[in-house]
Amino acid sequence: MRGLFAVIMLDLKRLWVDRVRLVSSLIQPLLYLFVLGSGLGASSRMGGSGYLHYIYPGVLGLSLLFSSVFAAMLIVFDRQIGFLKAVLVAPVPRVAIALGKVLSGAIQALVPATILLLLLPLLGMDLSLLSLLELIGTMILAAVTFSALGVATAARFRSTTVFPIIGNAVLLPMFFLSGALYPLDSAPTWLRWLARIDPVAYAVDLMRGAILDRYAYPPLLSLAVLLGFIGVLTWLATRVFAAGEDT
Amino acid sequence: MAEDKARISDAPALEARGLHKRYGAVHALRGIDLAVWRGEMFALLGPNGAGKTTLFSIFATLLKPSEGTAHVLGFDSVRERVAVRQRMGIVFQEPALEGKLSVRDNLYLMGLFYGLSSRAARTRSAELLVTLGLEDVSTREAQKLSGGQKRRVELARALVATPEVLFLDEATLGLDVDARRLFWAEVRRYVGAGGTVFLTTHYMDEAEPADRIALIDHGQILALGSPQELKNRVGGGVLLLATDDDTQAAAWLREHGHQPELSARGVLLVESEPAAVLPDVLAHLPVRTRRAEVHEPSLEDVFLKLTGRALEDGNGKPAPRVPGGQP
Repeated sequence: MRGLFAVIMLDLKRLWVDRVRLVSSLIQPLLYLFVLGSGLGASSRMGGSGYLHYIYPGVLGLSLLFSSVFAAMLIVFDRQIGFLKAVLVAPVPRVAIALGKVLSGAIQALVPATILLLLLPLLGMDLSLLSLLELIGTMILAAVTFSALGVATAARFRSTTVFPIIGNAVLLPMFFLSGALYPLDSAPTWLRWLARIDPVAYAVDLMRGAILDRYAYPPLLSLAVLLGFIGVLTWLATRVFAAGEDT
Repeated sequence: MAEDKARISDAPALEARGLHKRYGAVHALRGIDLAVWRGEMFALLGPNGAGKTTLFSIFATLLKPSEGTAHVLGFDSVRERVAVRQRMGIVFQEPALEGKLSVRDNLYLMGLFYGLSSRAARTRSAELLVTLGLEDVSTREAQKLSGGQKRRVELARALVATPEVLFLDEATLGLDVDARRLFWAEVRRYVGAGGTVFLTTHYMDEAEPADRIALIDHGQILALGSPQELKNRVGGGVLLLATDDDTQAAAWLREHGHQPELSARGVLLVESEPAAVLPDVLAHLPVRTRRAEVHEPSLEDVFLKLTGRALEDGNGKPAPRVPGGQP
């Protein structure tokens, strides 16, 4: 337990020192929301505010996805500068390191997402308290899933130049496939099949369901998929940290 | 269980039996047997690529041996890795601080990683900041410290959980003389308080204050003993000649019954009474002698004598040898 606390504490202290990162991580989602939202919204059949409401949960997903993967990139950075060694040689159970990294990544991702959440009333959406709680719950679940994805991947990389390239090559398609920006109802079948293995799709769907009460997948299925992803990915990350021949 | 406890409390601080390490075709360690006693400052001295860091990493639980076993305080460094880690502190060859955090936070967080409570970690960091003379920089970002200060912070960090064994891998590489002196004074203080130190270095002067030294080359221990014992192995004293043509001088000396070694400093002769040999050599050597020097053997001489190579060349290249010279 202390090990877990230590890993999270370390990352939160660093997040506090590096507050600028939070501000800059808000730029991308805001661009999507207002530029894409207003621009595309005007020409969409859903109408201006309808489209904005449609992509809002998608933008929350985007923010969570990119922030948590960026947080995971710090693992690669730590490895490159040699700091990770000092952490890995500590007598902390490997699962605590993996889980600590996953949770701290999720917390780091939830901070900008919470700021986006404050925009809800401005966008003319009013939610019941229950829906709001549901939304917050799914945001946390999504953040943990994306963070686990980031940590399981980053644990294997040693170069801070390669990881972002791979990251972008995988993250952007995952995001576009997720139905965050447009519904996939009329998309070709193969695309819809691909979307079915995309955890982002389930997370965005849950968040959208909380806001608009419209689900593309059964909520329980989404819940199970996300929990499954979290379990498997954390286990994979633990294994990488445990191998440690190279530390 | 009682047996287990006895095994652990009587065990040497570090013990290696038949250690081998292969990286693919490279045979980095070729059968190491070694025991380091508790309360001892032990130095592993050898050129770069000798296998120092490999042996160090195996003891420090960072690497698995291909063959053989390594124990630290009686715990197997592979199977009982966590038990070893709980009792050791380590300073790596490359600096490994979180540069954006303050010195105090670097220590405090490592305390948490070693299982201290938040309060204990705070108290312990404050203590170490005082003993290591880092109080003035305690709130500074670690990346803004000088090289010597960073190393002392890393030493403090290694000591945060009051380890029984301290591992130092080329810990003062690249530091200036003053910073090195300060660093080693702290290490000696730790040994004075009963701690065990296992260090690697390719500086002779860093190995000199150690209680015992293992000379290592090509993955094997060539000699083991206190600095004085090692020097006694050379026997007598050392005569060092710098001439206009060292190669020719060495050839001549060999013809005349001496056993010269060539080093970057000149031709080296180990003699039981070097001063007695000197006049004769100076009078008859066919090349001009620019400088002649008689001294007690240094660790450098020991290494040169054992391997025919200079220690601080460091790149593992053999020193130039006369064709036909002995292997």
